[in-house]
Amino acid sequence: MAKIIVVTSGKGGVGKTTSAAAIATGLALRGNKTVVIDFDVGLRNLDLIMGCERRVVYDLVNVIQGEANLKQALIRDKRIDNLHILPASQTRDKDALTLEGVEKVLDALREEFDYVICDSPAGIERGAQLAMYFADEAVVVTNPEVSSVRDSDRIIGLLSSKTRRAENGDTPVREHLLITRYHPARVTGGDMLNLTDIQEILSIPLIGLIPESDAVLRASNQGVPVTHDQKSDAGQAYVDCVSRLLGEEVQLRFHEVEKRGLLARMFGGGRK
Amino acid sequence: MSLSTDRAPQAFTFKGGMLPMTVMELVSGDPEQIRAQLASKLSQSPAFFQHTPVVLSVEKLDEPHLALERICAVCRGHKLLPVAVRGGGDPVRQSAWALGLGWFPPQENRGRSLESVPPVAAEPVAEPAETVADSAAEKAEPAHASKVYRGTVRSGQQVSAPEGDLVIIGAVNAGAEILAAGSVHIYGALRGRALAGIHGDRNASIYCKELHAELLSVAGTYKRLDDIDNRLLGANVEVVLEHDQLCIARLG
Repeated sequence: MAKIIVVTSGKGGVGKTTSAAAIATGLALRGNKTVVIDFDVGLRNLDLIMGCERRVVYDLVNVIQGEANLKQALIRDKRIDNLHILPASQTRDKDALTLEGVEKVLDALREEFDYVICDSPAGIERGAQLAMYFADEAVVVTNPEVSSVRDSDRIIGLLSSKTRRAENGDTPVREHLLITRYHPARVTGGDMLNLTDIQEILSIPLIGLIPESDAVLRASNQGVPVTHDQKSDAGQAYVDCVSRLLGEEVQLRFHEVEKRGLLARMFGGGRK
Repeated sequence: MSLSTDRAPQAFTFKGGMLPMTVMELVSGDPEQIRAQLASKLSQSPAFFQHTPVVLSVEKLDEPHLALERICAVCRGHKLLPVAVRGGGDPVRQSAWALGLGWFPPQENRGRSLESVPPVAAEPVAEPAETVADSAAEKAEPAHASKVYRGTVRSGQQVSAPEGDLVIIGAVNAGAEILAAGSVHIYGALRGRALAGIHGDRNASIYCKELHAELLSVAGTYKRLDDIDNRLLGANVEVVLEHDQLCIARLG
């Protein structure tokens, strides 16, 4: 039976899709059979980040409405065999999703996969609620910025009330905090919220911290999840995050201003 | 105190009580206008409207023939239960009795007028009603409907104790709201809105370990974050109502 993990945030543009793609890739690289689903019907992006936009024929809405079966809609990742993508529809809107339909799709995927990653749309409306409803675990993506933290707070509240686990009184959805676009120098300068403040306000366990990195932008535009870029700090940070999701203890990295070596300072080289 | 002296088993005893009671001071007798205002209040603080008993005060109205039945219907439609009418002439008294409501004579020599309370109070202003039963009353028992909430109250969430005190073991985050008929105790940071004494208990107070509140209110008198002395931010404090003013004092 697969674990269903929703990647959510409330606020848009904080890195949900990037994180969903990177985490799914990381889980698959560790040998888990993984599928990542785009719930952002109408504004689909996951296929671009995963680099499979040219191979989309059917999508989630087609499956829910019975116009295609799951096998036809699932796209196999071209780099990792045990990773699949279920894209969203670009032409429909979120009303095309139904609770029963989503349940049917997730139940079918549960049978076949080890991990089902749901990439939630922004907001707290229907689309986001459907993406989280059946989740076993949640990765709450937050930027070190007050509005993002407040929106994440709101989403954590919904996770404890508007999910199947909450409604049935089962063990609650396991919540994890993922901080993205963290810039230690700007945190030290006081431009951004620091790690401790964010953790204190949201008070859920930290699963990872992804530094602000050029590698993320590069990865998005090339359609290669940043986890594949093992030379980059962001790529390594996502690998750490995946290890923690799998229950391993990993030391936190990239949260402090890097002490640059003499050569780097002389020649202006930095982290890339 | 028992009024009966015979030895037969008692079906009841009469007891006097000073119950806190919300007084709805009518400035207009127009049911439609009342309906509109109630609807907007209801959306602001739904926790207040839970079959809350109210006394309709018509002292400020100069209408001998009040559409009392329609006003009561409007109130009930918004989950307020009119239990009595205060003031008004004989026709008002007769129609109150006809509707099964009690009637209180107008309150005289009132030291404090309602205007002394800020006009945009976050909660309806209330004050204790007159003694309900005979004067040989025993002291009313305080309501023991306290509520304990464990965990963080998050943005968009509302936790209320409509009859007693509210204890929060955790933080109240920005955008969250907690309400209590009695006092509010927060064993954590208060970053959201805290309202104590929502039915008018002026002795209610607010306690928190770390003050960053968006709004503090006791019995309708309130302070916004902007009104709070910067030096008190982050402090362990107690908030009480003194002379119609909220006083924030450090604890420990």
